[in-house]
Amino acid sequence: MSVRASRKALAAFALPGCITLGLFFLLPVGTVMTGALTDGGAFVRLVNDPVFWNGLKGTLILGTAAPLFSLVVGFCIALTLNRLAPKAKTAALIAISLPLTFSGLIVAYGFILLVGRAGFVTLLLAELGFDPAVVGGFIFSPFGLGLAYSYYLVPRVVLIVLPAIGNFDRNQLIAARSLGAGAGRAMIDVMLPQIAPSLVAAFCLTSAVAVGAYGTALALVGTQVNILPLVLYSKISETGTDLPAASAASLVLIAICVLIISLGEAVGRKGSTSRARG
Amino acid sequence: MTLKYENVSFTYPGATTGIFDISLEIDKGELLAIIGASGSGKSTILKLLAGFVSPDHGRIVIDGKDVSALSPESRRLGVVFQNYALFPHMRLWENVAYPLKVRGVARSERHARAVEMLDRVGMKSRADDLPAALSGGQQQRVALARALVFEPQGLLLDEPLSALDASLRVEMRDEILRVQRASGIATLLVTHDQEEALSIADKIAVMRDGRLIQIGTPRELYETPANAYVAGFVGQSNLWQGKVRSDGMVDTEIGAFACDTQGHSSGDAVTVFVRPERVLPAAAGGEGQDAGGDRPASHFSGAVDADRYLGPIRRIDLKVPGGLIRLETHLRDAVTSVRVPADAIRLLPAHRSQTGVFP
Repeated sequence: MSVRASRKALAAFALPGCITLGLFFLLPVGTVMTGALTDGGAFVRLVNDPVFWNGLKGTLILGTAAPLFSLVVGFCIALTLNRLAPKAKTAALIAISLPLTFSGLIVAYGFILLVGRAGFVTLLLAELGFDPAVVGGFIFSPFGLGLAYSYYLVPRVVLIVLPAIGNFDRNQLIAARSLGAGAGRAMIDVMLPQIAPSLVAAFCLTSAVAVGAYGTALALVGTQVNILPLVLYSKISETGTDLPAASAASLVLIAICVLIISLGEAVGRKGSTSRARG
Repeated sequence: MTLKYENVSFTYPGATTGIFDISLEIDKGELLAIIGASGSGKSTILKLLAGFVSPDHGRIVIDGKDVSALSPESRRLGVVFQNYALFPHMRLWENVAYPLKVRGVARSERHARAVEMLDRVGMKSRADDLPAALSGGQQQRVALARALVFEPQGLLLDEPLSALDASLRVEMRDEILRVQRASGIATLLVTHDQEEALSIADKIAVMRDGRLIQIGTPRELYETPANAYVAGFVGQSNLWQGKVRSDGMVDTEIGAFACDTQGHSSGDAVTVFVRPERVLPAAAGGEGQDAGGDRPASHFSGAVDADRYLGPIRRIDLKVPGGLIRLETHLRDAVTSVRVPADAIRLLPAHRSQTGVFP
């Protein structure tokens, strides 16, 4: 026997969510879509703009490299965390989750203060004979941007992957060792296939975040590095504002993110159903 | 191929628990069971042999070779875990073939050998299933097949039956013994179930607080336990503190026993040990001499404190002045007095904390 709420009550509970979804998602996306589609030339102008293509390329590279790097680092951290005592693990998790609460701008300024041209680390390294121009320039390059991104991508990876690692039966690794597999081989053959869905989900989520991130990039590299969010920014802020083309670029950006998230969801769901079955 | 522990000691980092100065040997084809309470160090013994931990002192020797410093994967030992630790993402034949895969055996050959091994444990028809589709007993069979398929130098079983139902446990016990005998492999069985150990082991080692307190055949352990702890741990026992008298009698809190006191002098403190099935209802026989012994039996009378019906037998605690006597009998009559034949009594070293009926 289950106690069920009435239809009316359910509708009342759902109302705030529906209003938020409508006002802050459907309406803006609708507006952007109308803006892009009513001006027939918007997509044509976008496609013929080499800056857009460079931005797309930069976004795809950044959206792949930064999450991959974060995935490797986050996976290693999660492995270590999993072996800590519960109290130490909780403390470490709080510390690790902290960057998620920072705005992208703050992260960017933090990096500039640390490894910018007059940054603390840059000046220290200069004492050791490293050229401050080279060291200080790194953070303003696409790689530097990727590193700054990973600052708040790694915690996301850890939070997604840690439960999967925690649920994994470590006896299987020991069993694989006793059956003749080395430590690395045991992990690749036995552990990775079982936690793969969470790794893919973590990659997709962080990739979507990296593709859409804007504040950190703007603060760090201005519009020097070509990525779609900055192309979009330049189209609505600089002289020669082209709102229809900006709307078209937004749609491309949304499409990329939706694609990546759907992929993650699909793999994650497949993993969970095969686990339920298996 | 023999498996050997030579004066092995190990303590867990930051703890005082571990095992101390253990020497053991398991011969080819022999099944040695290690029993002990939780925390007695029996699982540590297995981990040391498997290479999951390294000894602080002493050597682990397999087939004459010191393997103390070798990693688990280099030791060629098949291990069956308590929870079986099958790989859930691999089919049964892939699970069984995994040790062959890491050794570079070609796919067609390892498939053939895995299926053959599954056949030996009666699981051939399920070769293409995933582990989650199996019952506990079936997973156990597959784990056993996986541990044996690469012809290891020894088989290590870590509480292999503790996750199974009682009826299945007996069936799997026979199955393990059959497969172990067929492969003629030195086997170490870690268990807390003394009945399991008694029924299938060639030799049993009893552990307590990280130390080995007795090793022997199941019969030796049951009939002639080294001390009150072993007597209480292996099977049911009556244990009473006693003092040897000059006339070949032993005084205890429930009265005097007539028994063989050879090797003890008058005034020695001892523990009197009697198995419940050796305590006879007095109605079953007459007073006086026993058939087997030349000493009179000791007689006690009292009231029934507990009478447990176990099917073939009854286990009765008889309250007598000064304590309890536990007996097991197939007789259905009421019991108010019992006799203890002299040859049923063994004198063990005195042990103050072990007295009464066990377990």
